[in-house]
Amino acid sequence: MLLIDCPFCGKRTESEFAYGGPALAPRPDPAALTDAEWVDWLTVPPNPLGWVEERWWHARGCGAWLTLRRHTVTHEIAEVRHGR
Amino acid sequence: MTRYDVTITRLPLRALFEMRGALPGDAGLPPPPAPLRLTQAGDRVLAMTGPARWLLMAPLAQEETLERALPEAVALSDTLTFFAITGLGAGQIMAVASPLDLHASAFPEDGCAFTEAFGIRALVRRLPGGFEIGVDASHADWFAAMLDRVAGCA
Repeated sequence: MLLIDCPFCGKRTESEFAYGGPALAPRPDPAALTDAEWVDWLTVPPNPLGWVEERWWHARGCGAWLTLRRHTVTHEIAEVRHGR
Repeated sequence: MTRYDVTITRLPLRALFEMRGALPGDAGLPPPPAPLRLTQAGDRVLAMTGPARWLLMAPLAQEETLERALPEAVALSDTLTFFAITGLGAGQIMAVASPLDLHASAFPEDGCAFTEAFGIRALVRRLPGGFEIGVDASHADWFAAMLDRVAGCA
């Protein structure tokens, strides 16, 4: 169970949140990419052994979208911020 | 006879309006002093439930008046069903139902927050001698049964 320190609500249990996927780089112009690069951006999430940035929605709390910096091995959360 | 000294009461429908962005002056109440707090004036309650997100509660008889005064607000009156959980055992029931920290140092007298209870979204605030908890109306019968089961009535 993660304990996520929502900037608005304070520490809340993971079950109040919905995972919103990886915090990706801004959407590129598909016309400027190869098909392989576009498919890669759309469908291949980063999956490192280490720190990732993720989007989480505080669905059962304040309703805000948050960006978390989380370690995929230890589940340590180093940063939580509103928005991207 | 219940396991805990507690009374669980389903409360009547009330007028509920959600507002986003700047708080309109027509809400008739000053903004709460901090996030997850509420202000109360007469029979109206205004809670700050999220960033730039407000919930106004009033008796159902005021619904039409408020709807006219607050055209930008979204009427939610029939979406939530509220229960009053009062008595010496109210805290015990809440501790089973919800992971929210309801100690006075974390959830003051004027606290009001969305959280979860028995795994579903719930709005919690304090009442004299207990707590009020609001859940999606479609889950209300199931939620009442869960409260009764925890209290030892079922």
